[in-house]
Amino acid sequence: MPRILEDVKVLELTNSLAGAYCAKLLADQGADTIKIEPPGRGDNSRYEPPFIGGTPDRERSSLFLAFNTNKRSITLDINSPEGKGLFLDLLKESDIVIESFPPGHLDGIGLGYDELQKINKKIILTSVTHFGQTGPYKEFKGDDLTAQAMGGYLFAVTGLADKPPMGTALYQMDITAARNGATATLAALFQQRDSGLGQHVDVSEVEAAISTPGGLIQQYSFVGAVQRRGGGEHNVLDGMHLNTKDGEVTLTTAGTGGRPMETWAEFLGESRLLDPKFSSRQGRSQNWEELHKLVQDKLIEWNNLDLMEATTAKGLVIGLVQNLSQVINSPHLDGRQCFAELNHGEVGTLKYPGPGFLLDGENPMRGTSAAPLLGEHNESIFCDRLKLPKDQLEQLKTAGIV
Amino acid sequence: MAEKKILDGVKVLSLEQVHVLPWGTAFLADFGAEVIRVESVDHFQDRKNGPFPDDKVGEEWWNEGGTFTYWNRNKESLCLEVAHPKGKETFYRLVEKCDIVTDNFRPGTMKRLGFDHETLVQVNPKIISLSCTAYGHTGAWKSAGSRARTVDASSGLSFLTGYEGGPSIRASSNYMDHTGGNNVAYALMLALYHRKKTGQGMRVDLSMQEAGVQSIGPALLEEQVGLSRPRLGCSHLWKAPHNVYPCKGEDRWITLTVSDDTEWDNLKRAIGNDDWVHNPKFNSATTRYENRHELDMLISDWSVQWDNYDLMHHLQSHHVTSGAVLAAPDLVSDPHLEERGYFQIFDNPLQPQVGPRKYAGRPFRIPGIPTPLFQSPNLGQHNIRALKEIAGLTEDEINDLTEEGIINTRPKDDEEKPQGGGRWGG
Repeated sequence: MPRILEDVKVLELTNSLAGAYCAKLLADQGADTIKIEPPGRGDNSRYEPPFIGGTPDRERSSLFLAFNTNKRSITLDINSPEGKGLFLDLLKESDIVIESFPPGHLDGIGLGYDELQKINKKIILTSVTHFGQTGPYKEFKGDDLTAQAMGGYLFAVTGLADKPPMGTALYQMDITAARNGATATLAALFQQRDSGLGQHVDVSEVEAAISTPGGLIQQYSFVGAVQRRGGGEHNVLDGMHLNTKDGEVTLTTAGTGGRPMETWAEFLGESRLLDPKFSSRQGRSQNWEELHKLVQDKLIEWNNLDLMEATTAKGLVIGLVQNLSQVINSPHLDGRQCFAELNHGEVGTLKYPGPGFLLDGENPMRGTSAAPLLGEHNESIFCDRLKLPKDQLEQLKTAGIV
Repeated sequence: MAEKKILDGVKVLSLEQVHVLPWGTAFLADFGAEVIRVESVDHFQDRKNGPFPDDKVGEEWWNEGGTFTYWNRNKESLCLEVAHPKGKETFYRLVEKCDIVTDNFRPGTMKRLGFDHETLVQVNPKIISLSCTAYGHTGAWKSAGSRARTVDASSGLSFLTGYEGGPSIRASSNYMDHTGGNNVAYALMLALYHRKKTGQGMRVDLSMQEAGVQSIGPALLEEQVGLSRPRLGCSHLWKAPHNVYPCKGEDRWITLTVSDDTEWDNLKRAIGNDDWVHNPKFNSATTRYENRHELDMLISDWSVQWDNYDLMHHLQSHHVTSGAVLAAPDLVSDPHLEERGYFQIFDNPLQPQVGPRKYAGRPFRIPGIPTPLFQSPNLGQHNIRALKEIAGLTEDEINDLTEEGIINTRPKDDEEKPQGGGRWGG
């Protein structure tokens, strides 16, 4: 099927993970996305370890590779008059600009939303920042951990009750802000296509974090309850991670028809689970160490995939705590076409996760492109699209503008 | 709503329950789509979940649950028994006039009901259908049940989650519900955009597990070349200091992170003249990282003397990336969020027992596209509107459905009143 956003042109002016991921979500669905990087160095995340292949190399950061699929890269110093001119030339035929500078920065260099609209009335400017464009903290410095802290996630969600707050891994708040930004940008795109109006979309990562554990605010405003981390620690049947022969698993009491101990006793072949001291939730909690041993000794005999198949056949609900090799090599995900093999000039072909949905049965990421090399598309964008003579491009390169 | 909204005229029939799909379709409702939540008096769990206002399970408890009102904001409620032959026929008449049908049943249920994509296309060739499941409609695990926590686990996210050097622990109890829901919203907007351009519908087969897999991309690339990512808690692969530190008071904390030498100098100035900050072992990024546990201890000894809000302002004034670890009471009174109008006090006009309550807003502001909460639907509140105005049923037909108990506005007489509580984890 055609790629849905193939008629949408996006310029990315971000140096942040949330902004980059937001543009990636659009690019992965076919949007013509040009990532504008500072000449010489390029995007900061190009230097973020680890590197595919081990040695530091700006084309090999796993983070950059994962967050920049399907984009084209040009280098351009938008602070210089010539660079700004070229940016505005690109802007004329674009639909969306995604940026993540500190609030006010673009205004300061004459590229604020009002200026952009003078060049292109229908332009959508999506600003993905840590705290948003307004408010007393707008100039604060932030990152994923800051957003987890100030968005209530750190205190309430992950981590154990008797330990300090603990975060979730791998930039989930950046990603959550990006997902919200992409959806909000599409809303603005509908309006643009209908009425020719542009919009300035202001996305706040801290607010994205708050909206993530949805119960946080509701519980407080309905009953005054303050959600706090922990709760699954000693819950053998509903929270703990337990070992199997080749990995880990987390059990649930779902699918047991309200008879969790009878059902799990039968499944595991361990009649001691029927002891009345385990029959109530409270009893299981009080005697969790004993219960843990009984269940653990049986689970260790199982391979993950066999356990999944056998429990599913019985209508029981478990979660395999898959390690990354198990995810990459998962027969289920393979059967789903979850991954797309994308080839990159420097790091070769790797499996990249798709968008999380199939459209008419297909993963729309298949057959698309890996992340761009720094400035890989300078010539095609400046010379082919903007009709800049090649010798002029060379001059701009020498001057450090491209 | 007199004002024209982005998705005015878009009609969604949503056979939704629990968390992930209601969260996803709520975005469309906020953008002005008529999202019709199709409910059944036989499946009442969502309306039984609290939290109920001030822990009181009221007379009309089924309209008063806190999570229900939040996730179903701005939707309509059609309480229609679609498993009954006449209910099914009515559903088809709605499908003819609607744009999107969504569900989060396990694979197979929609087919059993006669609502699989192939059948719906016969009724409405332009229909968009989205099915949101734990593992998708294909593949070896398609029949497996799930909880959001089990999806965190199977996606690889929980394996990566844990205190530094410790075992894996669950990433959350419902992050995947939210991430899956955010992805539902994005996929539906894409499908609508496609239809706007081409007039064609499509089938979206969305998997919560794969939304999780997508969220850990860098680690999956690393794995393929034999690099494994350690569990790090709040610390970082190469930045130090980068952690959570205690502050004055019970369970009060702050985070701070340093990315380079300039930021380290900023932190040194913020700390002042403690001798240890000048120790050469903290002079470079590499040595700060090697000595990060000692550094964390020293910073903790300093941070614990401060109130966390005061310390955040102090650090930020020295250009140090830092955030107070906030809990719900902090958030609802935070001056920044207040000034940005993040929270909305919604009056719940149709549920006087609930009254005005504070609700979290959307994390984006678009001046021409406001997204306030304007209604939370009572059970079956929109039965007649939907059946008359959308499906074109006559009054007699609607009366028949009422008499036969196929549409309802109240739970069954023997429906058990919930006990209250109804709290759930993050």
